[in-house]
Amino acid sequence: MSTITAPVLRTGLLVRHNLLLRLRDPSQIISYVAMPIVLMMVLKPLYVEALDTGTVQAVTGPMVMFSVFALSIVGNSIMVEREWRTWDRLRVTRAGRTELLLGKTLPAFLILLFQQTVVLAVGSVALGLELPPTLGLLALAIAIWGFTLLCLGAALATVARSRGDLSVAADLGAIGVSALGGALVPVSLMPGWAQVIAPISPGYWAMSLIQSALAGDGAAMVRPGLVCLAIGLAFGAFATYRLARGWGRSRLL
Amino acid sequence: MSSSQPTLTRQPEPEPAREPGPPGPATVPAPGSGKTPVREAAPAPGGGDGQRTDAVLEVTGLTKRYGEVQALGGFELTVRPGEIVGLVGHNGAGKTTFVDAVSGLIRPDSGTVLVAGRPPVPHRHLIGVSPQHIALYPSVTVREHLKLFGGLAGLRRKALASVVEELAEDLRLTAFLDRPAGLLSGGQQRRTQAGVALIHRPRLLLLDEPTAGADPETRQALLDTVRRRAAEGAAVVYTTHYLAELTELEATLAVAKAGRVVARGTAAELLADLPGEVVLEFADGEEIRRSTADPTGTLMRLLAENTRTVTSVDVRKPDLDDLYRSLAMLGEAPANGPAEGETR
Repeated sequence: MSTITAPVLRTGLLVRHNLLLRLRDPSQIISYVAMPIVLMMVLKPLYVEALDTGTVQAVTGPMVMFSVFALSIVGNSIMVEREWRTWDRLRVTRAGRTELLLGKTLPAFLILLFQQTVVLAVGSVALGLELPPTLGLLALAIAIWGFTLLCLGAALATVARSRGDLSVAADLGAIGVSALGGALVPVSLMPGWAQVIAPISPGYWAMSLIQSALAGDGAAMVRPGLVCLAIGLAFGAFATYRLARGWGRSRLL
Repeated sequence: MSSSQPTLTRQPEPEPAREPGPPGPATVPAPGSGKTPVREAAPAPGGGDGQRTDAVLEVTGLTKRYGEVQALGGFELTVRPGEIVGLVGHNGAGKTTFVDAVSGLIRPDSGTVLVAGRPPVPHRHLIGVSPQHIALYPSVTVREHLKLFGGLAGLRRKALASVVEELAEDLRLTAFLDRPAGLLSGGQQRRTQAGVALIHRPRLLLLDEPTAGADPETRQALLDTVRRRAAEGAAVVYTTHYLAELTELEATLAVAKAGRVVARGTAAELLADLPGEVVLEFADGEEIRRSTADPTGTLMRLLAENTRTVTSVDVRKPDLDDLYRSLAMLGEAPANGPAEGETR
C-alpha cells in the first residue's frame, strides 16, 4: 500500500469509528439542536418587537449560544477516551498523531457544522430568516466558527480533570461567552461596561461573523473571521500538544 | 518458608545508559556453580546497520524518573523470537512503566529500546500491547474492536474478516462477537483486550497482567493463545503476579525490582536456589525449624543428632509462593544469606 493511501485509510477508519461513537450516544446532539430551535421560536416575537433586525437576532443568538454549549460534545468525545483509557490504546497503533487527531476531531467538527446548519435552516423556513443569495459566505462563517469551537472544546478536554469539570466549564463558558458576546441581547443594548469588555468573548466575534455572512457582507466578515481563526489556532495548538503527549493527566481519571 | 534470605543471584548494578551496540556475551553459569543462571540473548552477528541481532526486543539502560520517583533505573531486557519472558515483581517495580516505554507511550530519560532492531515509535505495527487496565469502547462490539485495530494495522476486507473469526475462535469469543464491550463480562473483556493486541500478529507482544481478575476459562484461553503465538515466533513479555501461569507457559522469569531487572532464569532454576524447610516436633513439645538448601540431608542429620522421640516431621521444598516472596525481598538484603538458619 502506498505511503499516502495507508494514512488516508487509517484516518478514514478513525473518522468512521468516532462518528459511530457519537451516533450511538446521540442525546447531546439532539438536545443542542432542539433547544435553540425552541428558544428562537419562543423569543422571536420579543426580538422582532424590540429590534429592526429581530429575526436575525432571534436565530443567530440561540444558534451561537447553543453552539458554545456544544463545546461539551467535543470535550466529551475526547474526555471519554481518557476515561476508557482508549487513547493510549490508539497511540500504540500504526496511526500517527495527525491521523489520530483528525480521526477524533473531524466527526466533532461535522457535528458542529450540522448543528449550526440545521438551526439556520429551521430559522429560514420557520421564522422567515432571509438567507443571502449565495450561501458560500455563510458556509465559510459556519466553518470558521465550528473550527474555533472545536479547538476550544479540545483544549478544554485536555485540562479538565473530570466530566464534572468539563460540564461546569462548558455551561459557564456558554452562558458567559454568549451573553457577553451579544447572543441574548445585542451588544448595543448592553450596559456600558459590558459593551467595553464584549470583544474579549469569542461569542462577540461569532455573532459579528455570522450576521455579516447573513447580510452577504464579505468585507465585514474579515476581522471577526480572523479573530475566530486566531482563537482557534491558539487553543488548537495547545490541545494538539496535550493530546500528542497523552496529556499526562489521564492517570488521574 | 524460612526467614533466611534468598540466595538468588542478583544482576549487577546497571551501567550508565549507552548507545546501542552489540550485546555482550551470554552469561550462563556452569551447572552446580551455585549461581542462578542468568539467561541473556545470545550474541548475534553485528551488522552495523541497526539490525544487529536476532532479538526481537533489546532494551538497554532504560531510565525514567517522575519527579522524585525513579520508575526505571537501568532496565535491561532481551527477548528472542519464540521466547516468553515473564516479567514479575511487586507493584511499583517498574513493569508497567517498562511496557509504556517499549510501546512508545512514554519517552524514557535515557537508554535504548529496539524492536526487531528498530526504534519502536515509527514501527508500532511490530508491537501488540494489552494494557493492565481494560481499555475498550463500551458501545463498540467485539467484532468492531477487532476490525478497527486490525484495520489500523493494515489488514483489509476479507483478510481482516477471516483473522477476526479465527482470533475470536482462539479466544473463545465467537458467541460474543456482536456484543458491545460494555455488556461483556470481565473475562470476556480481558479476552477482547488481548484480541486487540493480537489481531495483527505482531512480532513483539507486551501483555501487562492480561489475566488479572480473569476466570479460569479466560486464563486458559489466553495462555493457549499466547503459547501458540510464541510457537509461531512472536517474542512475548508477560507481566503477572501469577507465577503458575509462567510455569505453564514455560517462560523464563525476569524479576523487576526498583525499576530494573535483578534476576533472570526459569522458575525451576530460580527455585533450585531457594532453601527448603525442615520442621521437627518432639514429644516434649519442642520444635526445631531449619531452612536449608538440602532438606533431605538436613533431616537425616537432625534425626541422627536427636535421640528424643519425634512426633512430627515436615520437609517442605520451596514452591512458587516462596519464590515470589523471595523475589520480593531480592535487592533489599544481602543476596547470600545464611544457608541454614535454626529457630527454636
